[in-house]
Amino acid sequence: MMSRAKHYLRAAGAIFRRDLRIFFRYPVDAIFWVFEPIMWLTPLHFMSRSFAVGGQNLGLAGYTGTSDYMAFLVLGGVIGSYVSSVMWSMGFSLKNEMDLGVLEVNWLTPVPVVIQLVGRSLFNLTHTTIKIACTMSLVWRIFGFSITGSIWPAFLTVLPMIIGLYGLGLGIAALVLISKNANNIIDMTHFMVNTLSGREFPITVLPKFLLGFSLAIPLTYGYDAIRGLLLGTRTLLPVATEQLLLVVVMAISVFSGYLVFRRIERRCRATGNLAHH
Amino acid sequence: MHQSVALRPSLLRSILRVAWRDIKILVRYPTWVISLCVWPVMFPLGYLFTYRALAGPQNEGLSSFVQLAGTSNYLAYVVSGTILWMWVNVMLWTFGGSLRNEQLRGTLESNWLAPVDKTFLLIGAALADAAQMMLFMCIAWVEFYLIYGVWWLGSPWHLGLVILASVPSVYGLGFVFAALVLWAKQIGVAVNLVRGTMLIFCGITYPIAVMPGWMVRVAEVIPLTHAIRATRAVMAGDGLGEIAADLWYLLLSGALLIAAGLLALRFIQQRIRCSGTLGHH
Repeated sequence: MMSRAKHYLRAAGAIFRRDLRIFFRYPVDAIFWVFEPIMWLTPLHFMSRSFAVGGQNLGLAGYTGTSDYMAFLVLGGVIGSYVSSVMWSMGFSLKNEMDLGVLEVNWLTPVPVVIQLVGRSLFNLTHTTIKIACTMSLVWRIFGFSITGSIWPAFLTVLPMIIGLYGLGLGIAALVLISKNANNIIDMTHFMVNTLSGREFPITVLPKFLLGFSLAIPLTYGYDAIRGLLLGTRTLLPVATEQLLLVVVMAISVFSGYLVFRRIERRCRATGNLAHH
Repeated sequence: MHQSVALRPSLLRSILRVAWRDIKILVRYPTWVISLCVWPVMFPLGYLFTYRALAGPQNEGLSSFVQLAGTSNYLAYVVSGTILWMWVNVMLWTFGGSLRNEQLRGTLESNWLAPVDKTFLLIGAALADAAQMMLFMCIAWVEFYLIYGVWWLGSPWHLGLVILASVPSVYGLGFVFAALVLWAKQIGVAVNLVRGTMLIFCGITYPIAVMPGWMVRVAEVIPLTHAIRATRAVMAGDGLGEIAADLWYLLLSGALLIAAGLLALRFIQQRIRCSGTLGHH
């Protein structure tokens, strides 16, 4: 059992090193990804300025309790980056390997496919964390924002949320195996999940029928709890309830995502269409 | 000599073949239909609700926006900006990356050997992309009307004219972009850089007057700023006289960009032939 775990860890480590090597093989990409979030944040900064009265976003304060839109947005961006990282690294990596013609070869190795997928996403999570740290310091220098709450309770809230996202990532990977070109589906799902869960705005502005969808997405409570903890915004539910909810959803999501992926994987092996484009 | 001339395929036929191939590939993956219908409605959603949040429950922040943008109808303001940006965005990924995609598929070298001018690959891809994007525009405006209730006071023909006048500058940019990507071999960064620059400078979701002076001067150079301004003017009921300057700018910049794209392609073609890196990843 221990030797198997060691074997899997070695495999995940090898995948990590391979992705690291590919990443640095394209140095422009490596530098650019630090600046890329600023390109998305800058338009929203100017948008908030066009609604500012005396330099303050009083409209936002009416909904959330804070008039610091940049702080509100940056925290949304941080969580959104982790969501993207897991969704794209697990789903898109399979498509990439399909296109490069190495998917079948990699699946023939004595390492479970799920371990391979997790290995790929580990690199992405590390990469995302470094990117977030660099981006936050840059945004703080350029636009300025202030976070008043304690970091550790927020970190403990983010953790079950990220683990829960792996379940969703496995589901998306299964979708890629079936549809062969799931970019559009991943892109739309990712966009809708991030938008409706309130990455850029408080969900209380949504019309009732969309608010229902938003409240059904567990990520909504993640965004809400972290902003409540770090910015002191008004939360939808008490923060402790939102944290408990995230832990329960994490367990369900990972379990069901794993089951779905295993089923589709077996089907692909049986039909022999693994490497089809 | 006579025989070789007879066997030489015509440029037009080659262009149409490439366009037809691209349409066939597109139709082969049916999920594109979903994105064609869903994205125009979905993409502005985030901005619309952010507008609502920034305006406030009692519209505390709206007066500032009205003063800068000259309209309180932020719904029409946002969709007119986002639809044109989405056009450029899709064009960069599909048409702009067409040569790079061929490189990745391993078909670029064999297609490059065809005895016709190499622009056939790009012009064909541009035709297929433009056909898809015109359909996208039509669907988008109908959806804006039906779902968001967006309507324009000006003539729909004027709106069509603005879109047509934007075609040379949009695809001219695509020509330059496709040639540079072929040389740099990295599409992701290039797309993000170009679309990000436009998102920041062109006033897609906010009035450019809110930016510092130097940023406004940069914005005035980019054709998309003029396309968005003309579209918003038509929606507000302005006639041809009011948008004539923007239309002329779009046509002129389009001609310049197409010429620059053809030159860039010729230059890069010579470079990669000498270095023998045409098929490299």
